[in-house]
Amino acid sequence: MKKLSKLRAGFLAGLIMTIFAAFFVDINDARAEYGDVVINNYSDGAGMRPVVFPHWFHRMRFRCKVCHADLGFKFKAGGNEINMVKIIDGQFCGACHNGEIAWSVENCNLCHSAKPNTPTQVHESTVQKLAQPTGASKK
Amino acid sequence: MNIPKTIALLASLLAISTQIHADAVGKDVYSKVCVTCHATGLAGSPRFGQAADWAPRVAGGMAGLYQSALNGTPKGMPAKGGHITLADADVKAAVDYMVAAAKLPKSEPEARKEEPKKAEAKKEEVKKPEAKVAVIAPVVPPSEAATALATTASAADANSFNRLLKPANKRNLPPPEDGIHDPANDGTHALQPPLTAFGSLPKSLAGNRVNWVEAIAQKKINPRYDRNDPKAEPIVMDLNIVREVKGSMPDVVYPHKQHTEWLDCSNCHPAIFIPQKGANQISMAAILLGEKCGVCHGKVAFPVSECRNCHSKKKDMAKVAIPAEAGK
Repeated sequence: MKKLSKLRAGFLAGLIMTIFAAFFVDINDARAEYGDVVINNYSDGAGMRPVVFPHWFHRMRFRCKVCHADLGFKFKAGGNEINMVKIIDGQFCGACHNGEIAWSVENCNLCHSAKPNTPTQVHESTVQKLAQPTGASKK
Repeated sequence: MNIPKTIALLASLLAISTQIHADAVGKDVYSKVCVTCHATGLAGSPRFGQAADWAPRVAGGMAGLYQSALNGTPKGMPAKGGHITLADADVKAAVDYMVAAAKLPKSEPEARKEEPKKAEAKKEEVKKPEAKVAVIAPVVPPSEAATALATTASAADANSFNRLLKPANKRNLPPPEDGIHDPANDGTHALQPPLTAFGSLPKSLAGNRVNWVEAIAQKKINPRYDRNDPKAEPIVMDLNIVREVKGSMPDVVYPHKQHTEWLDCSNCHPAIFIPQKGANQISMAAILLGEKCGVCHGKVAFPVSECRNCHSKKKDMAKVAIPAEAGK
């Protein structure tokens, strides 16, 4: 009798966890804002969520030149080999995200906010659409 | 010792409460999502509480109805009402709630509800010879049309109009719903939803649906040209470069002005474009693959779907036509 109730408890707990998992893990086509860049050079490996960089938010505040000429960001998703040491050292994102111009690095989850295992990409880019037609599995 | 018991108790309590509150969930989802269209019958949707609207659809079977709600229909129902993050069960609960509210003659929805699960039970309830023929058995004449609809639903999906285009309700979604951000991350919910920022900006037909160049021209935004100095002014160069293109496509006018408002010369020259007339081979294929103009256009700047933004100078058709005339 006891064994049975244990079994049932395990089953029910499993069921509930599955329901919760189904609620949170949403396997849909990625469809973030046009121009959002996902950077996942090191994040997954380090057990962090990948970074989402919202272009739209930044271009409302800074012209392209500030980051792409002054700060040396290349026009290539994942092509800058940014890491936290460089950021804390004031390079790349750290040039502004230093607590003076913009909020600083302790707000990990504001940048590291993508779903785990999201590959590096410029979201909704023409290249992405050409390389991965709708309906193709996104891996 | 007591831990497994407690877990069992909690688990079973949760399970029971989930069932009890399925109706509440349905109502909740309806009042937050479905109500937008189904209250007034927008785009031909069945109206809430209107038996006449729902009867033919319910006659087609609840399975088909769930399918339409979950995956959308070519007639205009967006998948999950456009809220793709909703759990399937919640969507179904909302469908149940709306069907219940339609207060259809009792036997019909009840019989239909059982259909997907218990085919045999259905046969008993229907008690008609036709029931054996079709999976979705016609009980009353109007259901024949519904049957046809239900059977063609999957085929119609493949041919639904503008299947590859993003419908309006899937544009500029807030971060927790945008498919890239992790809704389980607390930071995601602190991020600004794009639409709250785009409200006053001039519109465009592609990309973010914002005309960024116009936004600066109209002084709706004034992004900094220098990281620290809000007063730094861009060095604008007003020089148009005309590129003649093949065929009847209008020639390309490249405006330095709009580009230098955003960018520095060094962003493009000399790495992407050699600053010399005739030195750059540009093709649409290269642009589509992210080279030349495609380094930005199709990633952050407006994409190549906006042909006439670049191909804007009409050819002198008289000149083009003369050789053809002479040939005759």
